[in-house]
Amino acid sequence: MSNRKINMKEKYRLLTRDLDWEYSYRDYKEVFPQQEFEGIKITDWSKWEDPFRLTMDAYWKYQAEKEKKLYAILDAFSQNNSQLNVTDARYVNAIKLFLTGISPGEHQAAMGFGQVGRQLGGVGARVACQMQAIDELRHVQTQIHAMSHYNKFFDGFQDFSHMHDRVWYLSVSKSFFDDARTAGPFEYMVAIGFSFEYVLTNLLFVPFMSGAAYNGDMATVTFGFSAQSDEARHMTLGLEIIKFLLEQHPDNLPIVQRWINKWFWRGTRMLSLVAMMMDYMLPNKVMSWQEAWEVYFEEAGGSLFKDLARYGIEMPDYAQTAIAEKEHISHQVWSMFYNYGHATAFHTWMPTEKEMDWLSEKYPNTFDKYYRPRFEKWREMEAAGERFYNPTLPMLCQTCQIPMGFTDMEDPTSIFYRQSEYDGERYNFCSDGCKDIFDHEPEKYVQAWLPVHQIYQGNCGGPSMEDVLGNYYKINLGVDNMDFHGSPDEERWNIWHNLQPAEDKLKQAS
Amino acid sequence: MYQVTVEPTGDVVDVEEGQTILDASLRQGVWLPFACGHGTCGTCKVQVLEGDVDIGDASPFALMDMERDEGKVLACCAIPESDMVIEADIDVDPDFLGYPVEDFEGTVVAIDDLSPTIKGVTFELSRPIQFQAGQYINLHMPGVEGARAFSIANKPSENSVLELHVRRVPGGAGTGYIHDQLQVGDTLSVSGPYGQFFTRKSAPEDLIFIAGGSGLSSPQSMVLDLLEHGDTRQITLLQGARNLSELYNRELFEGLAQNHENFTYVPALDNPLPEDAWEGFRGYVHEAAIAHFGGQFAGHKAYLCGPPPMIDAAITALMHGRLFERDIYMERFLTAADGAEGATKSALFKKI
Repeated sequence: MSNRKINMKEKYRLLTRDLDWEYSYRDYKEVFPQQEFEGIKITDWSKWEDPFRLTMDAYWKYQAEKEKKLYAILDAFSQNNSQLNVTDARYVNAIKLFLTGISPGEHQAAMGFGQVGRQLGGVGARVACQMQAIDELRHVQTQIHAMSHYNKFFDGFQDFSHMHDRVWYLSVSKSFFDDARTAGPFEYMVAIGFSFEYVLTNLLFVPFMSGAAYNGDMATVTFGFSAQSDEARHMTLGLEIIKFLLEQHPDNLPIVQRWINKWFWRGTRMLSLVAMMMDYMLPNKVMSWQEAWEVYFEEAGGSLFKDLARYGIEMPDYAQTAIAEKEHISHQVWSMFYNYGHATAFHTWMPTEKEMDWLSEKYPNTFDKYYRPRFEKWREMEAAGERFYNPTLPMLCQTCQIPMGFTDMEDPTSIFYRQSEYDGERYNFCSDGCKDIFDHEPEKYVQAWLPVHQIYQGNCGGPSMEDVLGNYYKINLGVDNMDFHGSPDEERWNIWHNLQPAEDKLKQAS
Repeated sequence: MYQVTVEPTGDVVDVEEGQTILDASLRQGVWLPFACGHGTCGTCKVQVLEGDVDIGDASPFALMDMERDEGKVLACCAIPESDMVIEADIDVDPDFLGYPVEDFEGTVVAIDDLSPTIKGVTFELSRPIQFQAGQYINLHMPGVEGARAFSIANKPSENSVLELHVRRVPGGAGTGYIHDQLQVGDTLSVSGPYGQFFTRKSAPEDLIFIAGGSGLSSPQSMVLDLLEHGDTRQITLLQGARNLSELYNRELFEGLAQNHENFTYVPALDNPLPEDAWEGFRGYVHEAAIAHFGGQFAGHKAYLCGPPPMIDAAITALMHGRLFERDIYMERFLTAADGAEGATKSALFKKI
């Protein structure tokens, strides 16, 4: 046995877990002060099974080669002026949404895993979290680098980090990660490590990365592949944390189930932004949001929850609501953004006739019945020079912070609306899922920084639209926002490609 | 078709033309680490030790150049172009003895009707076989394409015979041959031993065996082996059958239970006939396990052997009773009727 080759598991144990030490002169609880307050019971950290076995030296080697490849492609992309090769300039707005809404989330995840990596009592879990923290940092950096090229040619990219903390729709993803990071370490792991990285990650990455591939955006495809090669570790860490918590103590089951319910719902609400991106912002379509949802949640998630049932875990509350919403959600969210297109840092537009036909075909039960007539009306208004912008401010859901524009799946023409009272104040919700989350921890969610409330309270630069949008959000008014038609982005694109808007052609002819 | 040997366990997987190593392995019950299944994540990276392979659509970010140079491939997109030996990041069980697979000639010396649907076939071997209790052999039958796997029911110390329990699979060519044509005196070729289903003797926990139908074979060998070696841990065998006539070898285990204080035998019938006058447990065998152990299984090692629905129900019962994957071992008796193409599999469990 003496010359037996040690296997990877033993090697990894020797190189990581053996680096831990006993706390001889400090109390364990003092060293890991956050480990008990959530009610989670850990009896034996040695039962933690390392979800991956990557040592730090190998990690640097791998990541260095990935960076080398990524930057070679990014260099080639910029040297070849490949921004000219995307399908059309509308596509770039999907990337603006990614940079402002998603990339800062990667940074939040980096900070979250760094923090949790300090708080978990088991060394295996700590090492895994620290590695993921570094991954997430790499993701946000490479994404910023990749998209910085577009910043030279298109509007709306320049102040993404400033905007992330302020702009109304970006508070949806910001508050999602804030919520996770202000929870305890185990809730964070279930929220981000499991619910987001495992259950919902494909619904985020596949639409954006395939969308990029279908629309000539090599830079985004490549950072997607580069990031996805790290996701495997993130996914297996998410699975291990769930198994570990459920196997450690039976009292953990109801707590974990509640977290899964909560973060499934929070995640699906946030993904409604991806749904609209997929169905409305990609000139070349990959698949419809409904199709993606069926493949990546109903099928893949279905088999996961079938396996989790052995632990006593049930399908998340409101999974049925989310399934019913798959035929509506993208249309409703795009309507909201079209309404408030003057207050966004990207452009909105009405689909072309051909695109509406595609939507009718993909959504035979809902698009013609509920959405097409409204969109055609808006298109007529635009043609008549009366592009519709909603001059009011919307009421936001206290939990997910999305405008209250989702409808009742029992009656898709009426807005869904719930209310709770806490400490003499009334709070409003877009869904039963969001109301449940609030009702369980009202003292947390009453502190939510709701952009609309903040504007009315005078905390966002002043009373006028210009004060808020221009000075406080730093949106370049008339440049970054408003309809794509007539935007500087469109104008430049047409010049680069010798395209002329129809009215200019007419003028020249006369 | 190529054979891929997976080290360090030595499992052998048959890979069809154009099939990936991962797909073939999972379908044949050989677990490899995996996640995305399409070449972008790198979880299923394995080292090629011998043979040629098409690395397929592996992403350059998931399989780096330096790894390609070292002969690493992603099992989820690698397609063999010859027989191969690969090394995967999987654990070898310290209780696995790794007896080499060999070929034997077996002459039928007895065919018994164990039940209306199960025959016991005993072969005399041309030379002794080394195996671990719980493992299986492949049997080659004339006129039947491909080999059929059967668990060994005798204990390893009886190394010159093979006792197999064969349930007739409706429409099955292999089991049909054994039930209808096989005669005492016939000689068939046998290869083995195979499989990762064996007793973890170094584990200190008490043992639970749950058997259904002809899935009694492996547990029978394992129990006989443990008792023969004077094992003192508590050993419980739960045997499930439809009715009394299907409950075979009952006298054997009742006798063992009388002579060994640490052995308990619990038969369960889910559909006894009136004439059975059955006074034992009525219900499925996993329900018998719940009743016998009060729904609490923590602190045991469980061994499951039988048809997939029984295994499935037993796993759920054990997990609800807080016994988890690391303490559950199983041998699923799959037939062609069970179909390898199931629903999408989540990556939550390795073996389940």
